[in-house]
Amino acid sequence: MAEAVLDARLLPLPLIEGAQDDGTLNKSLNAYVWQAPQRGWLALLLLGMAGTGVLFSAIALTIAKGIGLWGNNIPVGWAFGIINFVWWIGIGHAGTLISAILLLFQQKWRTSINRFAEAMTLFAVMQAALFPVLHTGRPWFAIYWLFPYPSTNSIWPQFKSPLMWDVFAVSTYFITSLLFWYLGLIPDLAALRDSSTSRRARIGYGIFALGWRGSARHWHHYKIAYLLLAGLATPLVLSVHTIVSWDFALSILPGWHTTIFPPYFVAGAVFSGFAMVLTLLIPARRYMGLKHVVTARHLEAMAKVMLLTGLIVEYGYLMEHFAAWYSGNEYEQHIFFVTRPRGPYAWAYFTQMFCNVVVPQMFWTRWARRNVWTLWIGAVLVNVGMWFERFNIIVTSLHQDFIPSNWAMYYPTWVDLSLLFGTICFFGTLFLIFLKFLPAVATSELKELNHELAHGGGMSELEGARP
Amino acid sequence: MRRFVLGEFTEPDACVEAARRLRDGIDDALAIQRSKVPVVALTGGVLGALGGYTLQWYLNSRAYPINVGSRPQHGFWTNIPITFESGVLIAVLSIFFGSIFWFFRLPRTYHPVFESERFRTASLDAFWISAETSDENAVADLERKFREAGAHKVHTVAEAT
Repeated sequence: MAEAVLDARLLPLPLIEGAQDDGTLNKSLNAYVWQAPQRGWLALLLLGMAGTGVLFSAIALTIAKGIGLWGNNIPVGWAFGIINFVWWIGIGHAGTLISAILLLFQQKWRTSINRFAEAMTLFAVMQAALFPVLHTGRPWFAIYWLFPYPSTNSIWPQFKSPLMWDVFAVSTYFITSLLFWYLGLIPDLAALRDSSTSRRARIGYGIFALGWRGSARHWHHYKIAYLLLAGLATPLVLSVHTIVSWDFALSILPGWHTTIFPPYFVAGAVFSGFAMVLTLLIPARRYMGLKHVVTARHLEAMAKVMLLTGLIVEYGYLMEHFAAWYSGNEYEQHIFFVTRPRGPYAWAYFTQMFCNVVVPQMFWTRWARRNVWTLWIGAVLVNVGMWFERFNIIVTSLHQDFIPSNWAMYYPTWVDLSLLFGTICFFGTLFLIFLKFLPAVATSELKELNHELAHGGGMSELEGARP
Repeated sequence: MRRFVLGEFTEPDACVEAARRLRDGIDDALAIQRSKVPVVALTGGVLGALGGYTLQWYLNSRAYPINVGSRPQHGFWTNIPITFESGVLIAVLSIFFGSIFWFFRLPRTYHPVFESERFRTASLDAFWISAETSDENAVADLERKFREAGAHKVHTVAEAT
């Protein structure tokens, strides 16, 4: 008896709860699509759309009047525009990590959350891309020097600039994420087409399913194509945020000019991305009835990734401070030991340190990893902390530069705040639309996993679906 | 007129077993060749990377040289990030569009198997084997073989003309 109790505690939590087969998985995972919209969903959608209206108004104003409406000044030439860009693009990284890197590492728990996280990536990159484009001031001219396009001016981009690398990295990242996501969706769109009861839904999903009929020959190519896309998306996860960090690291500004930046930025991106996945997934799995496929095991695994990447980020903080001290450079030391912890933005520095260093430590305990409340609050705080990290990197480094007579404070204007708030709402709106119209869980992949768990080899006892 | 004999199976393993048994009877068409998708990916990736490098070399050192502190116009090291990104981009586009248009022959608006309303279960919870024949007399024989192989339902559809 004692032995049995011990066994149950040692067994990992199930990946799929209950006895499921293809039919029940199909029904339960797509039920949300076929239901009439719930009131809560409609209310959130309305709120999101109202916020999106704020965003579009702020964009229209910025374009019509210019970026003088923002709080940017000299010396703080880069402010909310870049903070929000880096924050959003970092959030996107978890999606690609889950869908690509965890696929290559054969982590079975990724299957339930990859579609969801990839959608998050796409929508986050869309928000991110807005900011640099608006920051150019005259976006309609930006195309001349951002893309190598043969204009009559015969002016070509300067490819030695990290900002150009960024353009290529982010656009490649967006296109790859979109195509990877869509390729994964095709069999599920076919399933929606085939389980639809109305002619309109059948035609609608039918168009996007492209006539997929699940032929074994197609599946054969499909699997390899999917795996290759994952293989190509994997270095992208590392390269995109590395290149974003070079926007800073290749300058000579104290607080930016650090070799630790690429790995530290990539880890920070994954850290914030997992925080955003948890922020969205915990409520969604409850209201969409996905608890049988997104189990405590998934949440726990994500908390562990957050803890790990959080530790890498903390190591980055430590090394930044160490390098500043060890360099003996007074400008470096001023930024790290005077401006940030004791300057006018010290509150932002301590918010960052509390949210990113102190809060994730609770995930060392199993209790905090398995309690949805601690997980959700921890994840939201990490999102806040990661925003403030970028605020500190950008604003505090710039506002006190080499000559004290240049120093100035930065305050965001209401347009800056509306853009940040608006992108959060726009992101939420896109996400709500995605949750309603597309399967939030990769159904065909999950059916395959379920089959594998039920009939699989040695590990099936441990990994298997238990009632 | 082409006819398609379709057999539905409820279990994937039963379907695979039946396909193995039926193959002698039908043809060896289902003996799947190694996929060419990796070749497409490699070609796209190499061409993309070469193209990306050539673009940067030509534009920055030939078409529109910008002198910044007498640094070399053709900067090998600074060309690496965009060379990598363009290689990945073209490889991804080749894999995706190559698969859809060439390997899957999609999008297509019509396929005879969809003549059977029952075939909708293929994407939901069942597994199907399809055998194509132009010989009307072979249909009965194929249907019998499908049943013997354990098909749960057997349908024959004719291509719409």
